[in-house]
Amino acid sequence: MAQKNRLATGGRINRNRQLTFKFGDNVYSGFEGDTLASALLANGVNIVGRSFKYRRPRGIVAAGADEPNAILQMGASEATQTPNVRATQQELFSGLQCRPTNGWPNEQFDLMSYIGKVGGRMMPPGFYYKTFMYPASMWETYESYIRKAAGLGRSPTENDADSYDHVNRHADVLVVGAGPAGLAAALAAGRAGARVILADEQSELGGSLLHSDDTINGEPATDWLASVIAELSALDNVLLLSRATVNGYHDHNFLTIHERRTDHLADRAETGKVRQRMHRVRAGWVVLATGAHERPLVYGNNDLPGCMLASAVSVYIKRYGVIPGQRLVLMTTNDFAYQTAIDWHRAGREVAALVDARRNPRGERVAQVEKMGIRVIRGSAVIDVLGGKRVAAAQVAAIDEQGERVVGAVEAIRCDTVASSGGWSPAIHLSCHTGSKPEWREDILGFVPGKTVQRQLLAGGITGSYGLQDCLEQGYQAGALAAQKAGFNAVKPASFSIPCVKEQSAMPLFHVPHTLPTSRAPKQFVDPQNDVTAAGIELATREGFESIEHVKRYTAMGFGTDQGKLGNINGMAIAAKSLKQSIPQTGTTIFRPNYTPVTFGAIAGRHCGELFEPKRFSAMHAWHVKHGALFEDVGQWKRPWYFPKPGESMQRAVNRECLATRESVGILDASTLGKIDIQGKDAREFIGRIYSNAWAKLAVGKCRYGLMCGEDGMVFDDGVTACLGENHFVMTTTTGGAAGVLEWLELYHQTEWPELEVFFNTVTDHWATLTISGPNSRNLLAELTDDIDLDREAFKYMDWRQGTVAGVPARVFRISFTGELSFEINVQANYGLYVWEKLFEQGEKYHLTPYGTETMHVLRAEKGFIIAGQDTDGSAHPCDLNMGWAVAAKKPFSFVGKRGMQREDCVRENRKQLVGLKTRQPEVVIPEGSQAVKDPDQPKPMEMLGHITSSYYSANLGRSIAMGYIKNGINRMGETVCYPQADGTVIEAEICSYIFFDPQGERQNV
Amino acid sequence: MSDVLTPEVDIDATAKVAVMKQLPEPGLRPVRAESPLHHAQLDEMAVAAAADSASAGVVLCEQKLRGHLVIRGDSKDRQFALSVTKVLGLELPGKLQSARAKDASIRWISPDEWLVVVPGDQAFAVETQLREALDGHFAIVNVSGGQTIISLSGPSARDVLMKSTPYDVHDRNFPIGKVVTTVFAKTQAVITRAGEESWEMVVRRSFADYCWLWLQDSCAEFGLAVQQDKGNKTMVFQTG
Repeated sequence: MAQKNRLATGGRINRNRQLTFKFGDNVYSGFEGDTLASALLANGVNIVGRSFKYRRPRGIVAAGADEPNAILQMGASEATQTPNVRATQQELFSGLQCRPTNGWPNEQFDLMSYIGKVGGRMMPPGFYYKTFMYPASMWETYESYIRKAAGLGRSPTENDADSYDHVNRHADVLVVGAGPAGLAAALAAGRAGARVILADEQSELGGSLLHSDDTINGEPATDWLASVIAELSALDNVLLLSRATVNGYHDHNFLTIHERRTDHLADRAETGKVRQRMHRVRAGWVVLATGAHERPLVYGNNDLPGCMLASAVSVYIKRYGVIPGQRLVLMTTNDFAYQTAIDWHRAGREVAALVDARRNPRGERVAQVEKMGIRVIRGSAVIDVLGGKRVAAAQVAAIDEQGERVVGAVEAIRCDTVASSGGWSPAIHLSCHTGSKPEWREDILGFVPGKTVQRQLLAGGITGSYGLQDCLEQGYQAGALAAQKAGFNAVKPASFSIPCVKEQSAMPLFHVPHTLPTSRAPKQFVDPQNDVTAAGIELATREGFESIEHVKRYTAMGFGTDQGKLGNINGMAIAAKSLKQSIPQTGTTIFRPNYTPVTFGAIAGRHCGELFEPKRFSAMHAWHVKHGALFEDVGQWKRPWYFPKPGESMQRAVNRECLATRESVGILDASTLGKIDIQGKDAREFIGRIYSNAWAKLAVGKCRYGLMCGEDGMVFDDGVTACLGENHFVMTTTTGGAAGVLEWLELYHQTEWPELEVFFNTVTDHWATLTISGPNSRNLLAELTDDIDLDREAFKYMDWRQGTVAGVPARVFRISFTGELSFEINVQANYGLYVWEKLFEQGEKYHLTPYGTETMHVLRAEKGFIIAGQDTDGSAHPCDLNMGWAVAAKKPFSFVGKRGMQREDCVRENRKQLVGLKTRQPEVVIPEGSQAVKDPDQPKPMEMLGHITSSYYSANLGRSIAMGYIKNGINRMGETVCYPQADGTVIEAEICSYIFFDPQGERQNV
Repeated sequence: MSDVLTPEVDIDATAKVAVMKQLPEPGLRPVRAESPLHHAQLDEMAVAAAADSASAGVVLCEQKLRGHLVIRGDSKDRQFALSVTKVLGLELPGKLQSARAKDASIRWISPDEWLVVVPGDQAFAVETQLREALDGHFAIVNVSGGQTIISLSGPSARDVLMKSTPYDVHDRNFPIGKVVTTVFAKTQAVITRAGEESWEMVVRRSFADYCWLWLQDSCAEFGLAVQQDKGNKTMVFQTG
């Protein structure tokens, strides 16, 4: 198809490379260097989508991030679907496929548009809130339909096939925006020797210079641009990033840059290439040179395809060689926009009229335009436009000096394009991210950044200075100053000479009056993406929404992909007028990150799939995998859960492992338990202050179990600590609690008792811990050691010994978490797997059985050993756990939690206490978390007595066992409590001791 | 200290600190040691891909089975610093610094903590010598089994670090010899700049596989080659 709107010459496109692409079901062509938007305009595509609420046909309005309508669904395959792509920011590539986001069955004919036509007035702001309120139970049904009708694109149903990553960068000076101000800033900072990053969201650096007719120091602006880029590229200390949007400005001068590396090349990145990269930048100083966005004017039917921003029209003509229509009517409140009429005229097409809202414009460009023979209509405005799917005529009428009333007759001027300019709004978004409050400046009719708390400077359009000379000078000064503040020497000043065009000041006009009152006039769109009209904003204020933040949320103004870049200032001004207050009084909504939409891929980076979260492995992990273990996550550790034989269910595997351990010998990889080496002459004293029990008399060679409590007296960790030497201990912690306990020790040492001479070091990863447990564990160990006396009297329960196991030096602890005769063999982890395998070589005759965490849980529950974090939840003190024996109240120095556990609430009657529970029917296992009640027939809400914390089937006992909390449970042994289940059944259980097996502890002492 | 050199039956109840020789006696019987990245079969990869290493952007090597000793003490105590120097022949490095000689290196970890790395079979001897030389309040902990060193070298090694750690690894901020303990992907590493284009990371054993996966992924765009560990002197104890 011919590119009917493509000019014969001009533009920064490569006419030798034609690219074909698909929009909807149609195939079009464009050139290398086009954006999707410029290519669509070149092909004369008027309608690019339907509006959000009213389904009105919409065309391209802008040329950048402020585009509200050309929001497309892109992707040639399901896996590459990308929603909400701004056609103005998407570069064209061969084979690009996209379709409009809204519009069913298609954008040309949308069934929903009848609502817009017939029932427009029936969908006021708050329509959904007002209409779908009752009955509340129906909301979910309503919501699914509303989502279908509204929506902005869809996410892919297949996994993203592309790769994304993050790079951390540090810069002395980060310059945001590579327009004239940003380029000059980077030049100055770069020349000073600072590490500079210059980032710009567009495909080419240059900003407005890319479509400028200006000269700089006597040469065309584009030549100056090329020489500056050459100089910057040659500097090692300068990084130039194009296609890289600075999307967020966070605390401490941390900024995120979203770089699109392959989106301009193909639907998918080449294999091995990263599609998008997030640069995480720590900047010494930031220069914001983000420029400004042009404000459209708000008039009737201003959303018809053909209504565009004046500057966007110029960009399409000069940067892309595309003229988006035949006959132009330009409406302006300022001199700057006259340039668009000049550009249109020079392109050889007709300017039907230039409508200036000012009574007596006198700037230099006015004369220039009139000299071209263009009709200038003064003191007037386009009050609405006529047309179906494209502008057909502009209705022009004289307005009063304040721009509040139509004062003359209406003249219809035939045209297909209406370009408008209401002035410029500085792009203050990033400044707002830092919490800086924008300030209104009456002289430029715009908000500029207010005071900042960041190390940040401003240059160019963001300050309200739009002249090229000002932009270059401010930029250079800001760059030089930023480098200087970052510690670099001053650079030689630079001078810029630009031919000056005298401009007259602009007229404030945010809402073009109509012959009809706003509520009756044709729709005057403020935010086309969200279908917010001037009438809607006025209605919102009438309904009592006075804060601009409330108006925003009620009308949806400034939501969506453009985040108010196009319409917010007009909307605030209209709200202000309606509330009869000034714009500064009304204020502005605050922009938040991100500046433009960011893909989830770029946010995730490589932290996905296998790399989403570290997996920690013990030294014996490979063996577990080889022997069919299923794994359980404990913190970041992968611990064997159980080792099923082929075809074996979990319950059968666990039963087998439990029986084998109690009957002969089992082995557990206990390497994941936290281990903290404690050295120093005050080590013993310190441990005594941290644990609730006594440590003063623990002899070298002995181990002891301890409970660790918080200041509130509540148990938060437990473990066995061994006395290795008079000044040397090794403390074990729960697997998940290891890091927290080490921090806890450091916290108390550094803040409370720095006078104690003690050092803590983690040795969790250093030792592999191989626990053999069961009546044959001594016999097995005897096969592999000849230098440790294993005699029951020589090596007692809760002793530790040093020797060699399978030829490897080891510390062996005779401690038990199963209640069986047990030995925990600790060897340097490099030898862990070797010793493990040697144990299996010798273990065959004892049917040595590997077991995992599930069997460990069952065996310890049979013995009533708690697991901190499972049987405790931060609300139980040692006496609640019936472990008062582990509290030594008479220690000379207090211990952490002592005072806490003496609080009134901790010593009252009827606290929940940990007890055992046996179901009436032995085969029934109470689900963990079940709530206990006395009478299951009592009215709801029932009185809860407590809940189940641990519950298993015990193969050794041939019945279920459970541990749980019951109010005053220790004094209620033998009573029956009930556990009502979600399915209506009730499980009855008897309160008993939580030591279900070997209550005298004879087995571990053999 | 002689009591812990030979296997013992009973605990020495008078010992202040239990110093332990943790390596098997050479010659008794072959005992296999496995470094934290043993399962990744790096040496086999190195042999298989030896030809590619010249063009690789990053060359990776596990410096495995070294002796790692944590020393804790008071850096302001001049005698402490002198004693460490006497034993190691290295200055006790100040904040963020490291020092190295042929067979030993020392990294500053925190204001009262250093990491000494020596050949794997010398950890016990060095610990013993240090304990004899040092006085007052100090601690030495053998952590040889708990961590390993991954070295990265080549023109793109710095780019890989930039993808992995938020710390500034630019020349101006990270001269040769500097050491930091910092975030590495979602774990942590002690990162040292060993040379113009070479870096070393000390990582925890249990996180080593994660680091290796991360590095393979990060290095892919630059080309990754694996090098055999030439400095492993404890190979005599190994069978595989």
